Amino acid sequence: MPPDPAITVAGRPFRRPRWKLLLAQNVGLALAVVMLILSLVIYCVIYVAAQHRLPGNFELTSTVNTTMPLAFASIAQTIVVLTRGIDLSVGGVVDLSNAVAAVKLGDSLGSEILWSLVVLVIGATCGLVNGLLVTLGRLQPILVTLATLSIYQGIAIRVLPQPGGQIPQNYTDAFASITGPWSLLYVIIVGVLWWAFRRSSLGVGVFAIGNDETAASANGVAVRRARILAYVLGGVFSAISGLFLAASATAGDATTGNTYTLTSIVAAVLGGVSLFGGRGNGVGAILGAFISTMIVNILFFAHINPLYQSFYEGLFLVLAVVLVGSVGRLMRKAM
Amino acid sequence: MTDAGHAALAGAPFIEGIGLSRAYGGVRALHNASLAVLPGEVHALVGENGAGKSTLIKVLGGRVRPDSGEIRLRGTSVSFSGPEAAHRVGVQTVFQELTLLPSLTVAENLFLSREPRSRLTHLIDRRAMGRRAEELLTGMGIDHIDPLAAVEDISLSERQLVEIVRAISHEPDILFLDEPTSSLVEREVVWLFEQIRRLRARGTAMVFTSHRWNEVRSIADRITVFRNGGDVGTFTDISEDDAVSLMTGRHVETLYPPVPALTASAPIALETHHLASAHLHDVSLQLHAGEILGVGGLAGHGHRALFFTLFGADRATSGTITVAGKQVSIRSPHDAMKRGVGIALVPEDRKTEGLLLRMSVRDNMTLAILRGRLSRMGFLRRAEEKRLSSDLSRQLRIKTAGPHIAVGSLSGGNQQKVLLGRWLLAEPRILLLYDVTRGVDVSTKAEIYALIHRLAAEGKAILFYSSDAEELAHLTHRVLVMREGRIAAALEGNAITAEAIVSAAVRDTSPASGRGTHAA
Amino acid sequence: MTSTPLQTSHPADLTPPPSGASTPQSSSGIRRFLASAERRRVLYAFAAAIALFAIGEIVRPGFGSFAGIRAVLVVASFVGLVAAGQFFVILIGGIDLSVPWVLNAAAILVVTSSLGRNAWAVPAGLLTLAMGTMIGALNGVGVGVAVLGVPAVVMTLAMNGILEGLTGGLTCSSCAAYAPPVIQAAVHHPFFGIPAVLFFWAIVIAVVSVVLSLTTFGRATYAIGSNPRASFLAGLPVRAITIGLYALSGFFSALAGITLVGFGGQAALGMGDPYLFQSIAAVVIGGVYILGGRGHYIGVVAGSISLVALVSVLMAVDMPEYGRNIIYGVVILVLLLLYGREAPEA
Repeated sequence: MPPDPAITVAGRPFRRPRWKLLLAQNVGLALAVVMLILSLVIYCVIYVAAQHRLPGNFELTSTVNTTMPLAFASIAQTIVVLTRGIDLSVGGVVDLSNAVAAVKLGDSLGSEILWSLVVLVIGATCGLVNGLLVTLGRLQPILVTLATLSIYQGIAIRVLPQPGGQIPQNYTDAFASITGPWSLLYVIIVGVLWWAFRRSSLGVGVFAIGNDETAASANGVAVRRARILAYVLGGVFSAISGLFLAASATAGDATTGNTYTLTSIVAAVLGGVSLFGGRGNGVGAILGAFISTMIVNILFFAHINPLYQSFYEGLFLVLAVVLVGSVGRLMRKAM
Repeated sequence: MTDAGHAALAGAPFIEGIGLSRAYGGVRALHNASLAVLPGEVHALVGENGAGKSTLIKVLGGRVRPDSGEIRLRGTSVSFSGPEAAHRVGVQTVFQELTLLPSLTVAENLFLSREPRSRLTHLIDRRAMGRRAEELLTGMGIDHIDPLAAVEDISLSERQLVEIVRAISHEPDILFLDEPTSSLVEREVVWLFEQIRRLRARGTAMVFTSHRWNEVRSIADRITVFRNGGDVGTFTDISEDDAVSLMTGRHVETLYPPVPALTASAPIALETHHLASAHLHDVSLQLHAGEILGVGGLAGHGHRALFFTLFGADRATSGTITVAGKQVSIRSPHDAMKRGVGIALVPEDRKTEGLLLRMSVRDNMTLAILRGRLSRMGFLRRAEEKRLSSDLSRQLRIKTAGPHIAVGSLSGGNQQKVLLGRWLLAEPRILLLYDVTRGVDVSTKAEIYALIHRLAAEGKAILFYSSDAEELAHLTHRVLVMREGRIAAALEGNAITAEAIVSAAVRDTSPASGRGTHAA
Repeated sequence: MTSTPLQTSHPADLTPPPSGASTPQSSSGIRRFLASAERRRVLYAFAAAIALFAIGEIVRPGFGSFAGIRAVLVVASFVGLVAAGQFFVILIGGIDLSVPWVLNAAAILVVTSSLGRNAWAVPAGLLTLAMGTMIGALNGVGVGVAVLGVPAVVMTLAMNGILEGLTGGLTCSSCAAYAPPVIQAAVHHPFFGIPAVLFFWAIVIAVVSVVLSLTTFGRATYAIGSNPRASFLAGLPVRAITIGLYALSGFFSALAGITLVGFGGQAALGMGDPYLFQSIAAVVIGGVYILGGRGHYIGVVAGSISLVALVSVLMAVDMPEYGRNIIYGVVILVLLLLYGREAPEA
């Protein structure tokens, strides 16, 4: 269309500053950054008070290694939640991939690569089943994934009835090295992947579905395809979570992954992902995972009875959600 | 017809709907309707609310499938699986319900599923997308909307503009616009018509609906009149009076009964002083017992806020409400319904704000008196409920297969009667009626008008908003016209005409008011 | 097609009008009863339970005997009690994930506060029920108060964690570990060969059904579940009822906790965990619409029984844990798909 400003709508342009617009669109992410920085500061202060020195490489490494499985699980949860769904089967897929890795990973590099890929395919298949049931079966995501959680857990226990198995040392070195926080590299990779996801048809489709499915479809978004692929991607990231869990635990257990169903939701919410769909950021979810770990660390060094740990986590979760909600509202009002 | 006799009028129809019918539940929205659109013409659809115009546009735009009938595109029969399928053959539609995605930016919405891609990675090039959105908007004379703003952060009229720009940017062969001006002020309407003329010059066919006769007059080449879900004739020249009598199926005088006389000494039932809420500014009004006070204006200019604030569904931020001389505090609908206040609100959107569609007619009727008259120590008085609901059905002549039938299976008119009936059972003193005749057939409309007049004659105070200026003009004692959340004009006596209401509503005072009110 | 909850107990709708021949009309009455998808689902759930008892009797004779059925029903009653609370919040489109630790905290509280003594059993029981109700109400405040705007999943999940932490942290290992004998008797004591807890469950079934079908509270609950906005605009106290329903969920979880310690004699950490998914599954199998507004407690009862019968059958054939998990999930999916085939209502 040739520029022909014969008739202009507004007498003069009125625009809000760009930074305000961007902040309003990313309140959740911004608050996640603030919460992470705050929790890091508090952690350092408490650590210094307890140990009389600053936390070092060991602390950083172990924090990163314990957070990685949760970070991937929360990405898995985020992708599904963005479509206005929820994936309760995350824990089941983590269990299954963890169990398969523990049983099958051999000592040769070839075996490691092959079986890692097989695990990813298993994760994708689990996600595909969820996606097909939700999309073609037209069932509620919460019910579908509740049922498949049970199924995937059952298969995981069948694969690995007792905790055990063996994770090769070089596998652990690659994904949960204890020599340094090298796994942060994977965070960067995921950040880049998210950047690409947000710029792909699938990414736009996932956000569009979460906003308004009918409108998305009216504007040419392949709604079914996007939704199914979102669940598939969720399954793949859950499987990656299971591999990282196996690597850091150096052995397998078909039940430890269960907790990731709920903690992945917590991390996503802390990272500013809206459970009502269409709003959120994968990087935020990773930050949410790190915030969760930092809270545990803080409680540990504050000498809080570990039995009380979930009490503080729960309390913090509610407060964080209320805070994010009200800050977001205030920001929009102030615009 | 200023632009009538356009050269492009000749030739075979570009798109044609033949004998189209469509029903929703028990509601017959479109019945054997036909429309032929010629290349390069501007075709107006006129008719009352619920006459089938919007449904026809949804069917031709691919959003809704017809139950029967045929759509022909350039002479060949087609069936659209969705709006996307229609887009592919050059049919674009701006639906009345906007289809923008709120959390995405204006640019993302404009280029949804046809984003500019980076040549290297084939990923969406957001920078280029922002730039092209900027070019697109400024190229069409819109310089106040930031393409990087999220749609949820811009105003209702801005969203409408973005929706129109998106449809035009597809360079369609035919463009359907369903009430494109309902939330636009005069300057924006002028802008839109400029775009329409430009498209016509390029040979694009356009179909639009509007309630404003002078708009129809100034731009349409042909006019098709709709009534009761079907077309009743297509004209190149028709007077307003003739059009209205075709639209209503009767003469204006017989559709609208004479307004009952107002007693000069009637006490003030409801009064507000400087009432304000999120989208409402400094509203002071007086409503007398037995009076029907009309409220008019463009969509998104604060009427809804006024009604919902009076009813306690929106929180008032300042100002006072006085009922029968006593200042009251209304913080929830429950407060508004209390004895001594007695306010009822019949909302605009029956399906989302009024009815419990899956529950029975009886359950719906008695919802507002559930905790009052119908409760005996927390238990339902079922015999009383039965009696009240069957009396009401008889009184309002509600046609159902029985009181246990789900209300969603009733026709639109009967649904509206159930909703009105619910509030009659609550025996309010003040009725806030918000666009209650929308999507209702003509005979039910006449019944509702008669009911409103009867209620006024009984001394009830009625605040009446309608999107139909004609209806406001014929039904009310006074009319307040709202603009940007304020009362912009008050019309009385002979000054109340549809034209006066519309011109007071679209008058555009502030230079940058394209922003309108924010409908967050 | 009607989906009004009240219709089941509404004689005028179900019995034929007084005039005319009785046979065709009563059959039309049954047809009308079955015309409602949610009532058909209740029947499916009961049919599933009966089928499972039959299968159980085939694979393990004695499964379908009086004693066998009784054993299943007793276990089902615990699921049914928790599911009653879950059912109330699902009726308004909510969910309660705090069930496991409300139940667990209640079980421990009733044991420790009564010191295992009969004399203190009643006040301890009341204290425990009050605790459960209060916690449920807190959930309701978080979910129901718009300013807080916490999604039900987050609020109740956080509450579950809070209670887990409190229970774990506060429990003293040296305190009393056994439920007062009177509470144990209140669960086990047989009348006519039927344990007391089943009579108790029957009373709960009756009360819940009456509350939902005959009171204004029940009608308001269905209304809010059908359309919260319209209910608010009709003057219903949506926030108060939301809080009340979550409080009821807490109450029933606590009640289940008390009966469970009465049944087993002892409280243990983690005893509530299975009841989260079981309570949701029972509600779903019972044909309750997960988005709210439709469903009957009698369906939830059928769901609880068939769920427990399924698990029992699988145990009877010595199905290992993994197999039970898989079949459990598959059965829920099959039922969901079966229900999903019902034509969507307008």
